[in-house]
Amino acid sequence: MPMGHPYIPNVREIQTQMLREIGAASIDELFADIPSKIRLRRKLKLPNAMSELDVKRHVQTILAKNKPFTQMLSFLGGGVWPHHVPAHVRDLVRRSEFLTSYTPYQPEVSQGMLQSFFEYQSMICELTGMDAANASMYDWATSLGEAALMCARVTDGRKFIVPTLISPERFNTLQNYVSGPSLELVKIGYDRQTGQLDLSQLRKELGQGIAGVYVENPSYLGFLETQVDEIAKAAHEAGALFVVGVNPISLGLLKAPGDYGADIVIGEGQPLGNPMSFGGPLLGIFACRDDAKLVRQMPGRLVGMTTTPDGKTRGYAMVLQTREQHIRRERATSSICSNEALCAVAAAIYLASLGPRGLRELGEACAANANYAMRKLRAIKGLKVPIFNAPHFNEFTLNCDETGMSVAKLNAELLNQSIHGGKPLRDKFPELGETSLMCVTEFHTKEDIDHLVNALAEIVG
Amino acid sequence: MQDGLYYSREHEWVKLEDKLARVGVTDYAQRKLGDVVYVELPEVGKQVKQATEPKGKEMELGAVESIKAVSAVYSPLSGKVKEVNQALQDRPELVNTSPYGEGWICVLEPSSLDIELKNLMDAGAYAEHLKKLE
Repeated sequence: MPMGHPYIPNVREIQTQMLREIGAASIDELFADIPSKIRLRRKLKLPNAMSELDVKRHVQTILAKNKPFTQMLSFLGGGVWPHHVPAHVRDLVRRSEFLTSYTPYQPEVSQGMLQSFFEYQSMICELTGMDAANASMYDWATSLGEAALMCARVTDGRKFIVPTLISPERFNTLQNYVSGPSLELVKIGYDRQTGQLDLSQLRKELGQGIAGVYVENPSYLGFLETQVDEIAKAAHEAGALFVVGVNPISLGLLKAPGDYGADIVIGEGQPLGNPMSFGGPLLGIFACRDDAKLVRQMPGRLVGMTTTPDGKTRGYAMVLQTREQHIRRERATSSICSNEALCAVAAAIYLASLGPRGLRELGEACAANANYAMRKLRAIKGLKVPIFNAPHFNEFTLNCDETGMSVAKLNAELLNQSIHGGKPLRDKFPELGETSLMCVTEFHTKEDIDHLVNALAEIVG
Repeated sequence: MQDGLYYSREHEWVKLEDKLARVGVTDYAQRKLGDVVYVELPEVGKQVKQATEPKGKEMELGAVESIKAVSAVYSPLSGKVKEVNQALQDRPELVNTSPYGEGWICVLEPSSLDIELKNLMDAGAYAEHLKKLE
């Protein structure tokens, strides 16, 4: 074949030769089956060819319209949180051995990837107090959907109980997941003063046929659920599984869900060394207790450690693959036959670098900063911060009903000063009035927080 | 293959014991599967139907798994599951080492034994059936 161009293979000489080979007179002839009325009869409206330098200038002009998060001050969280990603985590995951490899269909040839996943799984187990973790799901929301289905498979129950103050996005995904097998979702109310789950309503709902009880801790609105022991006990007495959703960063500080009776722990792994990057890719954490009945019904890929037949060399393998689609087809435990490989590797590197002490210090910094922000904001007349009287981790609610201003107005004013205010909650939780969800982490300095406080004081004052 | 047993086209065997029927998978089935690593047993009390086409969940008595394959165990008779072989929970390899003995799957209480036995094969007919598959 003639080489018409060093790296564009489809040049005219080659096209002509290929057409001659297949006995067609023109490329147009190949599209003869497409009705002429739906065919485009003119050239695409594309600008003229540009040189590399021109393209670069052009793209830079477009990019300059963006206002990167790093050049502003943001207090947005609610599912994706701002945290510092250490340079070495970024550098290591960008190594081509990690960046370009994917678990192939003979996964055992990728020992390096499998070892990374195994280490990720081991650290997730340690963090959550569980015994078996999978190599990750897409995100917290899909982990929740899968957890509900897993509870139904294990218990044969048809109802899954969630708190009213669940993340609305996660709830939407959950609804999607349970619609096929027609599980019923039941929402449990909360105490208006403290946000805590209404235990008496929970006990009333718990009866026959409950697959699982789910709580988020810290909750979507940032406060801690302090009745987890009672909830676990009530769930187990009804024969249901207890599922806990977490922000893993909080576990450097808070008790592991395994220590208060969780059977399944899920969560969002993005804070562990993964950038926010427009809301994804995310990393779904999924772990459960060491119970054959649970582990066999667990969704996703699992990596196990073994030794070579001579017993001399450590090796890694995909295990329990018979639960998966490529073997069990429509009966597979889940629709996921993959994982968020690179994000899981980043999380493993991040966790390994911080260690238990680093993670504790990080958790303390998040909680201290958020609580400092709450204290300062509470002092502003007209603001109620937070709306629930309970301990908070790195997120909290800010209500501005008494200022006569809406959250939208408040945020618009803040944006004029290059500050992103909290996530508005009125659409999903109208009963909370003009309330937003604020996020403060180790990423924010005291000056950042003071800047927000001063700006807000001026706006409402 | 053992004389005195009844065989299904799906490679399960039935051994009549008084009014009950013991069920397992055949030697041919275990050889095709390879090393069995897990046996999913049916629930005691489950009502099952004799396997016909098209196959359905109500005809299943769990599943037998090897490392990279899994197949359903189809019920050779209609009836109720009376007993399951708990030993397989810890020693699934019994299906390989003793398919007609210690590797049995469950005991059924058949509901229409006389009619349904006619749909099963004796050892000779099953041997012919296997020849066609080879």
